[in-house]
Amino acid sequence: MGIIGAHGAPLLMTAAQWGGASAIFLASAVEWVEAFTIVLAVALTIGWRRAAGAAAAGLAVVALLIAVTGAGIEAAQADIGLIRAAIGIFLLLFGLRWYVKAIRRYSGRTALHDEAQEFAETREQLAQAEGRAAWVVAFKGVLLEGLEVWLLVVALGHTLSYPAAAGSAAASLVLVIGAGVALRAPLTRVPENTLKYLVACAILSFGTFWSIGGLAGEQAVWPLGDVTLLLLFATYAAAGRMIAWRSRTPGSAAADMRA
Amino acid sequence: MKKLLQLVFGDARNVASVAVALLAAFGLSRLAPAAAGPALALLLIAAAALQSI
Repeated sequence: MGIIGAHGAPLLMTAAQWGGASAIFLASAVEWVEAFTIVLAVALTIGWRRAAGAAAAGLAVVALLIAVTGAGIEAAQADIGLIRAAIGIFLLLFGLRWYVKAIRRYSGRTALHDEAQEFAETREQLAQAEGRAAWVVAFKGVLLEGLEVWLLVVALGHTLSYPAAAGSAAASLVLVIGAGVALRAPLTRVPENTLKYLVACAILSFGTFWSIGGLAGEQAVWPLGDVTLLLLFATYAAAGRMIAWRSRTPGSAAADMRA
Repeated sequence: MKKLLQLVFGDARNVASVAVALLAAFGLSRLAPAAAGPALALLLIAAAALQSI
């Protein structure tokens, strides 16, 4: 039982409230880690400043939606499957393209730095277009996960006050950002094509999970829940390297060493 | 605009690969929901293998 203050408001949380806050913190952390994985992947491609901008824009849209719709949470819950499916399909289209490109580089069918052979203007256009697309990937990833955290806060927040529930979700966001920033330096030492390949695997994994989960019902399609994301990532990573190895061209071994 | 869309989503083969894989997985989800997800992943890997050659 909590201690009651002068105006009847609880000063300390009860065990049940701590339980609710912890559940929101942990569940939100899972969603934030998923969002941060996408932002991290995009940041390695378009830079931290632009990726952070996309993430901030995604969070701002979530905040705006909360402010505008407020009690209209039921509508958001009804549509979350469709939102998840739409974002998942976008990630599949984007991720499969990157996945194939990285496999072709590993197998030697595309030069590791083929863009260097193109004219500077075209190269810049390509980079800008890819940068815009990557920005949208980060934005949509954070938007979707932010919406899911919002649903969590509302769904589990009845055990404690709404500010405390939102505070738990915000605290987990800060923790995840801190852990993610610490990973920046080690990741910069990974070779470029390997990095792009891992990014493609991550984006494909999220795309696979959200697209069919959103269309056919996440619990029915993915009974293992979020753990499936790790399994998908491992499957795509292993399969891609196998495809690259099977389709490698003469002389690609040296390229593979550099990638 | 066309070039931008192509850069984002890839060529027609990429779009068709995703569409076919998703439709097949969605159809399978009506019969065996738990098999739909792994099937989608396998179809996408097969599509990537075809596109990589």
